[in-house]
Amino acid sequence: MTLDWHVIWEYRSDLLQGFVLTLQLSLVAIAGASLLGTLVGCLRASGGFLARRLTALYVELLRNIPIVVKLFLAHFILGIDALPAGIAALILHQSAYVADVTAAGLRSVPSGQADAALALGLSRRRSFSLVVLPQAARAMIPPLTTQYTQIVKNSSVVMLVALQELTFMTQRVEHETFRGLEAATTATILYAALALAIAAAMASVERALERRAA
Amino acid sequence: MTAAALQQAHRAPATRAQERLWRLLLLAALLGVVWSARDLRWAEVWASAGFLLSGLATSGMLALAAISLGALAAVPLALARMHAPAGLRHAVVMLIELVRATPELLVIFWLFFALPAVTGKAVSGWTAAVAALGLIAAAHLAEVVRAGIVTVPKGQWDAALAVGLNPRQALFHVVLPQALRNMLPALIAQLVSLFKATSLAYVVGVIEFFRAVSIVNNAVFAPYALYLTLAAVYLLCCGLLTWCVRRLDPDYLLAS
Repeated sequence: MTLDWHVIWEYRSDLLQGFVLTLQLSLVAIAGASLLGTLVGCLRASGGFLARRLTALYVELLRNIPIVVKLFLAHFILGIDALPAGIAALILHQSAYVADVTAAGLRSVPSGQADAALALGLSRRRSFSLVVLPQAARAMIPPLTTQYTQIVKNSSVVMLVALQELTFMTQRVEHETFRGLEAATTATILYAALALAIAAAMASVERALERRAA
Repeated sequence: MTAAALQQAHRAPATRAQERLWRLLLLAALLGVVWSARDLRWAEVWASAGFLLSGLATSGMLALAAISLGALAAVPLALARMHAPAGLRHAVVMLIELVRATPELLVIFWLFFALPAVTGKAVSGWTAAVAALGLIAAAHLAEVVRAGIVTVPKGQWDAALAVGLNPRQALFHVVLPQALRNMLPALIAQLVSLFKATSLAYVVGVIEFFRAVSIVNNAVFAPYALYLTLAAVYLLCCGLLTWCVRRLDPDYLLAS
């Protein structure tokens, strides 16, 4: 088995371009899934009966269908363009998991905390945003880190509708030079670097939350 | 969203009337879907039922093969991560973390390229897919096994030995059953995740359920009926397994 790393240098601009698209897709999907997921999660934990049941249905429907299936439904059945379909599939898919994380985070804050805040004279809105939410947020950081890494990983499926992200580029290298192993190894390292970057960013968010709480 | 609403949610469980109303709503929604789908080209789906079922069986077997392989490999990986000397331990940690950070799709491609390079001959898509999903399962389950062993209190060991069991009996009759009980939700959750990931195996030519549906659709063009079936089947299979996870541990957070 001989490896030829020159091919990586030759295809550096393609791989870089793919990496940038992966990064962009991931950031947009992280923002979207966080917003949507948090909203659904709050309703899931503390809405009325109907809101709780509807959000539970939302989570189960979106979580139990593979992301490729959602992507193909959006692109080939509904006829949405590849890029918006990919972003929508990524956001909808992961928002279900983020909703679960949010709901669990809110449930993990003892109800006495909100009672105490209300007893001290805080308004309902302030006791939620100043007392309950910050505590929930700290509990949410580790599972959210997992979910954000998952978004980066899942962004690779959009290559199946011909979006030229990092995994797509490894296939281009394979088709043109039969050096897929080298390209896939390089891509793996880049994905791992992204996962590390997310872990580091989330760790600093966690520290900031701790400082605010202290 | 207010704290009061939050409290209310904590304190007021759903009444029986609400529960009944919800079931009625769900039933109505389901009937609505069935009613609006009545004129789709179901005859074409039915005519290919055998082929679709064999695709589904392939998906199921792929997931089961991967989780068996993963579970077998996970135990030594977990033990190595906990007890091996530093060099081996770091290597194992790096392997686990690298696999967990890599997209499933890329792991499949990677093994599809790497296995022939190692063995010297071409491998089938099935072999590459089983190896890739097995590797993914092993990396995730190694963490599950580690957590499962750690959560059995040390007192359980001591007590088992104190009542006269030998270490082997203590392991098999006291510690492992408890560890397995702790691991069960995570194990089923991993199976759900793997079953969904089998839909990616078509990229190396495996005709699993997702690919089978596409093939039938290319032949008879009944996209709505076929893709509705596709979504419903995944929903049913994964939903049932997820329901088992919920029953075992209501607070379990599914990761993927």
